[in-house]
Amino acid sequence: MKGLNTALGAAGLAAFLALGEAVPRLGLVKEAYFPPTSRIAGALGDELADEAFWTALGDTLTGWALGLTIAACAGVVVGVLLAVVPHLREATASTIEFLRPIPSVALIPLAVLLYGTELRSVLLLVVYASFWQVLIQVLYGVRDVDPVAEETARSYGLGPWARVRHVLWPTALPYVMTGVRLAAAVALILAITAELVIGAPGLGSRIAVAQTSQAVPDMYALIVVTGLLGLLINVGARSVERRALAWHQSVRGEVAV
Amino acid sequence: MRRLLAGLAAGSFLLTTAACGSSGDSGSSDKDASSGGTTTVKLGLIPIVDVAPVYLGVKQGFYAERGLELTITTAQGGAAIVPGVTSGQFQFGFSNMTSLMVAQSNGVPVRAIANGIASTGLQGKDFGAITVKKDSPIKSARELEGKKVAINTLKNINESAVRESVRKAGGDPDKVTFVELAFDQMPAALDGGQIDAAMVVEPALATVKSQGGVEIASPLVDVAPHLTVAMYFTSTRYQQQHPDVVKKFQEATAESLAYADAHPDEVRQVVTTYTKIPAAVLAKVTLPKWPADADRASIEALEKLGEQDGLFKQTPDLDQLLP
Repeated sequence: MKGLNTALGAAGLAAFLALGEAVPRLGLVKEAYFPPTSRIAGALGDELADEAFWTALGDTLTGWALGLTIAACAGVVVGVLLAVVPHLREATASTIEFLRPIPSVALIPLAVLLYGTELRSVLLLVVYASFWQVLIQVLYGVRDVDPVAEETARSYGLGPWARVRHVLWPTALPYVMTGVRLAAAVALILAITAELVIGAPGLGSRIAVAQTSQAVPDMYALIVVTGLLGLLINVGARSVERRALAWHQSVRGEVAV
Repeated sequence: MRRLLAGLAAGSFLLTTAACGSSGDSGSSDKDASSGGTTTVKLGLIPIVDVAPVYLGVKQGFYAERGLELTITTAQGGAAIVPGVTSGQFQFGFSNMTSLMVAQSNGVPVRAIANGIASTGLQGKDFGAITVKKDSPIKSARELEGKKVAINTLKNINESAVRESVRKAGGDPDKVTFVELAFDQMPAALDGGQIDAAMVVEPALATVKSQGGVEIASPLVDVAPHLTVAMYFTSTRYQQQHPDVVKKFQEATAESLAYADAHPDEVRQVVTTYTKIPAAVLAKVTLPKWPADADRASIEALEKLGEQDGLFKQTPDLDQLLP
């Protein structure tokens, strides 16, 4: 079953690449603006040989990882805190709903004012966007706690910390994992967007330079790299999720089938 | 995307003025720590051909021999550079003249201190041009009436310039439909027929020409024979606090500009270190002029056009703005 899936996936990708080669070659789109797969692959090869590319990749991954870590930790801490103190939750509910839909990209001028074009302005955008993903999931997760289990823990005299540790956290963990997985993708998108628009060092600014330089195959090669990066991050997040939740019925069920 | 950026830029102007009103001296001392007679300053640039002289100047040691160490930060467009300079993230920046005048008329405390680039002054041989597709029926700027013309930013230097070209050719610029489009997207849009004409600058101009596109006017030359298109600037506060650093920057930049003007081959070489312009395109790029001094008469002409087109809230004070 797994082998078949992999084969189908590979076939789909091969068909996509072939299409990318054929469409410009047949003249359906202009080669100058949409280079065939082989030329993009060539440009990708040149990129991989360039030291500056690896520096840029490192910059992007640094922004992504730092931003995601900060957002995930802050999201979990704030989420649990809001859940444990009901008044706090009620006091912040409308503020959260107000702040959450603000697109991170709209904060670019603020980021530039505060931090110029450095890593910190990337972090501001990344953290802002991914924080909500985690926080909202934690809030949902906490709401899912079985009231009977909670009451039982209470009547057995478990303190607040023990209740968080033994009742709340195991219930919320699948939600937290979902939140972190979503946040990982959002963080990558925002890191690259910030670099692209602000010009902070990284893959995004490299794409922007290629764009303004009329280096079209290079631009697509870099875009392919960001796509691959997103794919890897998603696969990685899924495997972490599966491991962390190996005990949970959702994952146990999946394995048993 | 361009529209988004323009909006962001406008927003950031407002934020900038607010930030400068309240932050006092906090931002001024950060990045210019002196050590052993060397002052490190940050310069915010757009990675384009125009700023090649600075890269050459650094390479030739013009800045170092005056005790200046330049840290070049590249940003995408003025949207990041003007607020970056006024908030003290960078000490110096590069921006086009109209943006600087707009900033000043909005009360943003900027001061132009060194010349940036100028048009070549030659009709048909400038680094920016209004271009049309191969076989287009449009032959002159006058015929742009009722047509769709792409410019990189609405209500900025290129709109002023294109309007002037239409006017000079005997047309009515109000009848032209301007659409905002990034320079790098213009060749494809022109080719695909989404627009009838495009105001492009290098290296997109070289791409358009390589597709058989035709130049119908040189708008930057139409504004003034030797138009000062862009300049290096700082914040008024930084200039007041560090007049000596500004002076060194001015001297080193003037030397760099003169060197670049005299060594076009080295310019083309240094451009490859910070852009990805393909060699074939770069060889065909028309370089701008890099005179050591700004041409005040040309800036006045640009200011007049800006007034006419309603770009300024109040008339920019050129005595305050220019070095």
